Amino acid sequence: MQTLKRNLLAVPILVWLGLLVGIPLVFVFVLSFLSRDSLGTIVFQFTLENWQRVLDPIYLRVFRNSLLLAFLTGLVTIVVGYPVAYITANLEPKKRALSIGLIMLPFWISSLLRTYGWMILLGNAGIVNNILLGLGIIDKPLPMMYKFGTTLVGTAYMLIPFAIVAIFNSVDKLDRSLLEASYDLGANRRQTFFNITLPLTLPGIAGGFTLVFIPALGLFYVSDLLGGGNTIFLGNLINTQVTRGRNRPLAAAFSIAMIIVVLLVISIYGKVAKDDAEGLFL
Amino acid sequence: MRMKTSRFGTFYLSLFFVILYLPVLSVILYSFNASPSTAQWTGFTLDWYRTLFEDRVIAASFRISMEVAVITSIVSAILGTASAVVAMRSTAGMKRAIQGVMILPLLIPEVALGIALLIFFNLLNLPFGHFTLVASHSLFCVPYVYIMVQLRLKEIDRSILESARDLGATRWQATRTIILPLVTPSIITASLLALAMSLDDVIISTYMSGPRTTTLPVHIFSMMRVGVTPKVNALCTLILVGMFFVVGLSQLFTKKRHKEDL
Repeated sequence: MQTLKRNLLAVPILVWLGLLVGIPLVFVFVLSFLSRDSLGTIVFQFTLENWQRVLDPIYLRVFRNSLLLAFLTGLVTIVVGYPVAYITANLEPKKRALSIGLIMLPFWISSLLRTYGWMILLGNAGIVNNILLGLGIIDKPLPMMYKFGTTLVGTAYMLIPFAIVAIFNSVDKLDRSLLEASYDLGANRRQTFFNITLPLTLPGIAGGFTLVFIPALGLFYVSDLLGGGNTIFLGNLINTQVTRGRNRPLAAAFSIAMIIVVLLVISIYGKVAKDDAEGLFL
Repeated sequence: MRMKTSRFGTFYLSLFFVILYLPVLSVILYSFNASPSTAQWTGFTLDWYRTLFEDRVIAASFRISMEVAVITSIVSAILGTASAVVAMRSTAGMKRAIQGVMILPLLIPEVALGIALLIFFNLLNLPFGHFTLVASHSLFCVPYVYIMVQLRLKEIDRSILESARDLGATRWQATRTIILPLVTPSIITASLLALAMSLDDVIISTYMSGPRTTTLPVHIFSMMRVGVTPKVNALCTLILVGMFFVVGLSQLFTKKRHKEDL
């Protein structure tokens, strides 16, 4: 009776979130098996057509593009972000607080502004080209916009704070006496890093990778603005199917496929970090 | 043992921060450029800001965004805090269930979540507008309030609560007089973060806006698709200034309590 009373208050919360997340997801799943008429109206008739199209080579390429982008974004943010987190964790208190502040501040800056900044930097009439032209290094503007690499830079830039925070938390928890012991036993810095620090901060790396990988699958505004639609990603495809293509069942199938990918990544995270998905946030 | 930061370390960190803030600074700088192109700097001007204030569409979408963000942050503060307090009180199993549903919206890519909600609200025949925007935004804001408040709750010494109960306080009295004052700074910071996230959301808002309730980010996105214009720079700069004002406020509340947690 006592337990029942303690748990009673939790019920509305579960119901509310369940209603807003769970039911819509079930609808999307069902929708991915439904047809539509020529006007885009959904027809309640079972079909596997949408799923067949997901596996169509043309659309599989979109999948490959997105997985590649998300994977490379994860890789770049870890490689670039790890030293940032590591150095910050070892700074003296005052500088450390400043560094943490500078890492966190982008969370408060509009993500559109941060994407737009790269348009201003990398455009044909952009700042980087102006400087290179001015210095006489090049004589006509370097085309840097609307490439896969541009989207990668923008996506990694957008998500790197997540990776750094995750790695920082695990570096900061590192038991420093282990490092001392390693040095005392004659290991050099490189050996200590690869044998002690890296394995012990692996959960942070895995967490950072997961936190970056998931949103990287769907940030369509970054690939729209910086990639210019030259490479099609899942996010763009789903978005176009809903807003212009009027093919919601197909968009639903792609959304479910995307969620399956996310579940796979989370289960890999679980294996590597020996933790469940909650460990990513709590 | 704290390892001394090498010269290379300092250099790397500085370079990283320069690149991190370079795009932001470029946007701000070119909002004052007299020439409409970034190709050249032709002098300082405030003209782009003037055209901004004359733009009725921007003013309207700004109003909608603010209304949605304020309501979202209040709703999220209440629901997130309540969930954290309830989770603390519940049995271990129930606590896990609450945490599970809390992080669910954070694990689904926004496009997929947006489309799920679009289909759901469509089926319910709900008109798209303030309600759908607030409901969807609170979906990703409540979890952050929950996470931040629950971190603070963990730090609270349980014995204070027990003594309060021993001295005859009811559960509700103990919550109101001990827990709430202790978590208030976290609630304020979290709701300001919710405000920022709601004001910044592009993806979910794309699907949740009604024909006359386009939010500011959705409008800015459509402006950016056309290309670089200093007017967009000016608009982004103003939003940035507004947001930093909010960060300043939130710092004011957190500085007092916890100093070093990330």
